[in-house]
Amino acid sequence: MAESPREHVPHQPSSAVCFPLQMASATDSRYGQKESSDQNFDYMFKILIIGNSSVGKTSFLFRYADDSFTPAFVSTVGIDFKVKTIYRNEKRIKLQIWDTAGQERYRTITTAYYRGAMGFILMYDITNEESFNAVQDWSTQIKTYSWDNAQVLLVGNKCDMEDERVVASERGRQLAEHLGFEFFEASAKDNINVKQTFERLVDIICEKMSESLDTADPAVTGVKPGPQLTDQQAPPHQDCAC
Amino acid sequence: MTCELNLNFLKELERETVLQVLYRDQMVRKVDEERIRKLKMQLQQLQWKGTNSVSHEYQERSCARCQKSLGLVMNRGAVCNGCSHRVCSECRVCLNPYLWKCTICYAHGDMKVKTGEWFFEERAKKFPAEDRHETVGAKLLKSYQKLSKISVVPPTPPPFTETTGRNTAMEISQSKSFHKSVENLFLSLATNMKKISKSQNDMRADKSLLTTDYGQDMERRKERRSQSDTAIDAANRIKNIPTLQQLISGTWDDNEAFTKRYCKQAEDIPTSPMSDTVFCGGKKHGSLYSINSTCTEAGNFDTTNVTGEIEFAIRYVFKTCTLEVCIKACKNLTYGEEKEKKCNPYAKIYLLPDKSSRSKRKTAVRKNTVDPAFHETLKYKIEYSQLETRQLQISVWHSETLKRRVFLGEVVVPLSSWNFEDNSTQSFSWYQLKVKSGKPEDNLVQYNGELLVCAKLILPSQSKKCQYEEQMRGGREDQASADGQLHLVVLGAKNLPVMRCGGTLNSFVKGCLTLPDQHKIRQKSPVLKKEACPQWKHLFVFDGVTPSQLRQSCLDLAVWDQASFGSNDRFLGRARLSPKEPSGTWDSDPQSKCQWQKILSSPNTWIDITFTLHSDMDT
Repeated sequence: MAESPREHVPHQPSSAVCFPLQMASATDSRYGQKESSDQNFDYMFKILIIGNSSVGKTSFLFRYADDSFTPAFVSTVGIDFKVKTIYRNEKRIKLQIWDTAGQERYRTITTAYYRGAMGFILMYDITNEESFNAVQDWSTQIKTYSWDNAQVLLVGNKCDMEDERVVASERGRQLAEHLGFEFFEASAKDNINVKQTFERLVDIICEKMSESLDTADPAVTGVKPGPQLTDQQAPPHQDCAC
Repeated sequence: MTCELNLNFLKELERETVLQVLYRDQMVRKVDEERIRKLKMQLQQLQWKGTNSVSHEYQERSCARCQKSLGLVMNRGAVCNGCSHRVCSECRVCLNPYLWKCTICYAHGDMKVKTGEWFFEERAKKFPAEDRHETVGAKLLKSYQKLSKISVVPPTPPPFTETTGRNTAMEISQSKSFHKSVENLFLSLATNMKKISKSQNDMRADKSLLTTDYGQDMERRKERRSQSDTAIDAANRIKNIPTLQQLISGTWDDNEAFTKRYCKQAEDIPTSPMSDTVFCGGKKHGSLYSINSTCTEAGNFDTTNVTGEIEFAIRYVFKTCTLEVCIKACKNLTYGEEKEKKCNPYAKIYLLPDKSSRSKRKTAVRKNTVDPAFHETLKYKIEYSQLETRQLQISVWHSETLKRRVFLGEVVVPLSSWNFEDNSTQSFSWYQLKVKSGKPEDNLVQYNGELLVCAKLILPSQSKKCQYEEQMRGGREDQASADGQLHLVVLGAKNLPVMRCGGTLNSFVKGCLTLPDQHKIRQKSPVLKKEACPQWKHLFVFDGVTPSQLRQSCLDLAVWDQASFGSNDRFLGRARLSPKEPSGTWDSDPQSKCQWQKILSSPNTWIDITFTLHSDMDT
C-alpha cells in the first residue's frame, strides 16, 4: 500500500497522507463535530481569502487549518470554509475562514461573502505576473463590497519557488503600501509565514474591534462618542523569511 | 447586488458541493447563535442585579451600580466615562492603568465584542439596509429552498424518503400477478373473511392478500413462514385478532402497514437458526430491534382507538451534548384492557432511525391510571449535528405482568425542524397521541449505522493540473481511455446493529465493483474480532479500470458479521455508489451519484465519504 490509510480520528488532520480540498466537506460535518459544536470560544472572526485562480488560496488554508499540503490542483467550487480556534491575546478566537473560487464564473457567490468578512487575505502568486496585476482589481472589489474598516493582508504565495519568481518582493511591498495593506510573502508548501499571516490578521481585527468599542455606541452608554480615530496607520512590513 | 443571488447558475454537481458547504456553515451558525443567546441571558441577569439601570434617575451620592452611599470626602466615587454615572471603586473594571469602566458598561462592551455586534454596527455605517444577522449562506439556502421547491435534505440523510408512489411502481414491475383489479381484491377479501375465522395461523398469511403486493412477496412470505417456526409461534402469540370490521374500515395504507408488521414479526426473531436465509430473501429487515422489544414492536398495534394526549418537552444541552426528553404526563389514555378497564401505562422513546436497544429509553410503569404522571427525563448523548437526521418517537404502552404489552399511541417528532435555540419550544406541550404510522417505520429500520471510507481514482496522467477544469468544460473523453486504479480505504464503521451479547461484532467488509459489462471485481477486508465500532483501515484496489467504464459502474459495499463455526455470516448493512439516480429497491443515498462523480472528477484526490448503511439487500 503506497499510502497508509488515514487514522480514523475525525478531528485530527492527517499528516501521513494529504487529504486535500473541499471534498472533505461532507464528512467534516458529521465527524468533525468538534469544529462545529464547540461553543467554547470568546470571539468569532470571519476571514475571506481572495485572489486569482490557482494562486494557492486553498492550499494556504489547508496548511493553516490542517497542516497539510498537496501539490495536486483542484479548483474550488464556489466557496468553502474551514474553522480553526486559536488562542490569541488571552482569548479563544474561532476563525471561520472562507476560501473562495478564483474563477470568474463564481464571482457572484464569492463577492456576496465580502460583506460578512471582517478581514481579508488577498493573495497572488509570485511566479505569476497576471495574478499580481489583478491585485488592484481585487482591492477595488473589497472596497466596493466590504465594510469600510476591512482589514486586508496582501500575500505573495509560493515564495518557495524562487527560481520561477517573476514578481519581486519589493514590488509586492510597494503595492501593499500604496493600497494601505500589510504585506507578507509566504509559502503554503514549505509552511512559511502561513501562521504569521493569519495571526497578524487576527491581531489587526482585534485592534479594529477595540477601536470600535472606544468610540462606543451612544445608545448604550449615554455619552457622545469621541472623535473618530483615523485609519491612517502606516502598516509595518513583515519580510519574507526566504 | 445580492437581491438576485441564488445558485441557479451552477451545474448540478457544483450546486451539490456548494450546498454541502452551506449546510456546514448553517451548523456553525447554529452553534454560534446558541452561544450568543447564552451571553445575552448573562448580561440580562447582570443588569437586573443592579437596580439603577442607565435610564433611571439615581440618588445623588450613591453608586449607580451597587447603591452603596458615597461619601463627600472619602470614597466619593467617580464618573464612568462610558455612562456618566457615578460609581464606587468596587464597581469598576480597569481596562488599563488609565481607563476604567463601570461593570455594566464593561459588560456591554464585552458583549458587543463577543457577539460580533461591533462588526455589524461598523458595517451598518456603510450598508445601513443590510440585515445584520442574516448571512449570505442563510440567504442562499433560503433561495435554494424556495426555487427548488423541495424540502431541505441535510448532507447525508437517512433514507426516509421512499414514497408510496415509488413503492407501488416498483411492485408493479416486480409482480407479474399485479393485474388484479379492485374487484378482485374485494373478492379475495371475501374469501378471506371465512379464513380469518378459521385460525390465527392462517390469518397471518392470508392477510397479505389484502395488500397490493401479492405475487412474489406473497410467496416469499409463505416461504418464510415455512422456514421459520418461531415466526409462526410469534404469530400464534398474538392475542387480539383484529376484527374484519377493522380490516375493512381501515385505510389502504393501514392495512398494508398492518401486514408488514405481522410479517416483520417473523423476521424479528433473531435467534432463529434460519434467520440468515430469511434476511437474504426479504426486502425489509427489522434486524435492529432489541430482543426485549420484540414483543412490543411486533405486538399489538391493533388498538381500536387511540385516544389521549401526552405532555413532554425536548431540549438540547449544548454543554454536555445531551438531548433531554422530559416526559411529564399523559391524559385520557385508552384502556389497555378495555373490558377490565385496566391500564398500566409507560412511555418508551426511540431516537429513530436507530431502533436498537441503544436508542431505547423507558419511563417507569404507572399502575391503574389513564392519566399517568411520569415526570421523568430521558437522556441521549448525541452530537448536535446528528439531530438533523433523527426523529424522536414517543410511544405509550400498557404493561401487564405475563401478558403482552398493548400499544396506546405514539407521537413522532422530526428533530430536523426542531428549533433548539428557541426557548418556547423547550417548554412543555401537549401532543395528540396517534396510531402507529406504518410507512416511515418501514423505512427507518433500514438505518444500520454508518460506514466511513475514502476513495481515490488514480490515473497515470501527465498533467494533473486543470484536469478538473477540463472535465467541467466537458472534455471528459480525453482520459477516457487511460487505465486507472480505484483505491478505496475502508476506514471504519459505527452504530452497527449489535446482536451478540457483550455488544461486539466480528465484522468485515465486502466490496464489489460491477463494471458496465456486468463483470464484477470483488474484494474483502480481514475480519476484525470483537469490535462494536470496527476500524479496518483496509485498502481495496480495483485495478485496470478506465474512468469511462467507472462512469457506468457501481460499487457495492457490504458489512458482515462473521458467525461462529458452522453458521452463516450475518449481514449488517450495505451501501452503494452508483452513477444512476437511486431507484427501485435501492433506496440509495441521494448523494450516491454525486459522490461517485466527485471521485471520478477529482482523480488522484482522496475523497471522504460517509455512507449510511441500509439493511435491505439486493441479491
